[in-house]
Amino acid sequence: MPMVEPFLRVEGLCKSYGGLTALEDVGLTLEAGGFLCLFGPNGAGKSTLLKVLATLLPPTAGSVRVAGFDLEEHPEAFRAQLGLVSHQSFLYDDLSARENLAFYAALYGVPDPSVRAGELLERVDLAHRAHSPVREFSRGMQQRLSIARALVNDPSLLLLDEPYTGLDAHAAIRLSRQLRLLHEARRTIVMATHNLERGLDLATSVGILARGKVVFLQRRDQIDPEAFEQLYFRHLEAA
Amino acid sequence: MTLPRQILLLYRKDLRVEVRKKESLIAMAFFGVLIMVILNLAAGLDRRLQAEPAAGILWVAILFSSVLGLGRVFAREKENNCVAALLVSPLSPGALFAAKALVNFTLMSFSELVLVPVFFALFGAGLQPGLPVLLLLLALVNLGFSAAGTLLSALAAGTRRNEVMLPILLYPLCLPLVALAVKSTGAAFGGRPLTEIRDLIESMAAFGLIYAAVGYLLFSHAVREV
Repeated sequence: MPMVEPFLRVEGLCKSYGGLTALEDVGLTLEAGGFLCLFGPNGAGKSTLLKVLATLLPPTAGSVRVAGFDLEEHPEAFRAQLGLVSHQSFLYDDLSARENLAFYAALYGVPDPSVRAGELLERVDLAHRAHSPVREFSRGMQQRLSIARALVNDPSLLLLDEPYTGLDAHAAIRLSRQLRLLHEARRTIVMATHNLERGLDLATSVGILARGKVVFLQRRDQIDPEAFEQLYFRHLEAA
Repeated sequence: MTLPRQILLLYRKDLRVEVRKKESLIAMAFFGVLIMVILNLAAGLDRRLQAEPAAGILWVAILFSSVLGLGRVFAREKENNCVAALLVSPLSPGALFAAKALVNFTLMSFSELVLVPVFFALFGAGLQPGLPVLLLLLALVNLGFSAAGTLLSALAAGTRRNEVMLPILLYPLCLPLVALAVKSTGAAFGGRPLTEIRDLIESMAAFGLIYAAVGYLLFSHAVREV
């Protein structure tokens, strides 16, 4: 039987800043349509890993492939697969929601940026605020708009770096609902978060990073959510 | 998307924000006028200045006030870390550099629409404006200053004290261009013909093109450090 190439494959990934090692021999795979949740304390290397996956940081060693495209060999085709959401919105405060989305859609060469902006605003329930400047939006609304922005190019891999930061309970529930819908639409997602409960609720695979290494990686259906907190701290202490 | 279209898209976006906020343009024009008024008071209200000191005053007002705009144009991309989204997109870093340099060029040109008439109102007695030559000199300085300023504002944005770092880096780098500008403007104000300052103008154009070429080539490295 032929081997099926995983949608995301990370092998031997290292990232150093001078003498400081941020990532050490990181390896992981994720099937198409999977939802990998990465947990870990501050400084574990989660954000660095996502920045390398997003092509914002060059790796010191190792390889990353997405949908068969190698990061070093085909950086443009690799980037075309990506959508990035962070706790920072990547939005221009003085432009309206529609102008922000239309700008990013045009940047990706979407044929009719304004129409695409309208579709995405509908999808994240912000069509009624299309013409309001982003600076007037609440944190939760900005995060929904940020997800819409990340979807302008219809990416096959969505990278989420601490997307729950600064959200109140209501906004966090809406975000989880949005992420579940995206996952149900067969989008592949990698999310770094501190929030064990929300992460476990959404993930199909779970990883723990500690001191720049992946110390745990397992399918979600093989994990007992009741015992996960203990398991998480056990791995952190052992690292 | 082609490079010119990427540049145009970014340029229009930045101008739209600037037209809405007007923060850079107003700050630049106000600061430039303030410098000239203070220097006018210091020089003596009714005193006629020689051509070269007058040229120096014009360029001090333009270049000191321009830094306020140069810093803001790139700082705007750092707010909410928009620069990260641009770097993940198919945008060429060269297009980002060219668009930002073009925005800076435009802002400098618009602030000069205020500063140059104010300069002639305060210091113009006895000077020969020579408008076509002055416009050429303004365009060349704007080219060099906006190109160097765009590259350095991206570098400075990666430091903790970016607003302090930009002028510290920019003025020494642009010193040859500024010296040439003062010399050639002084000569033009003194009524010397274009042919006599042709060498100076060619040198200014060369500096402008070098800053633009170096900025275009190095910008991808500068912007990744942000």
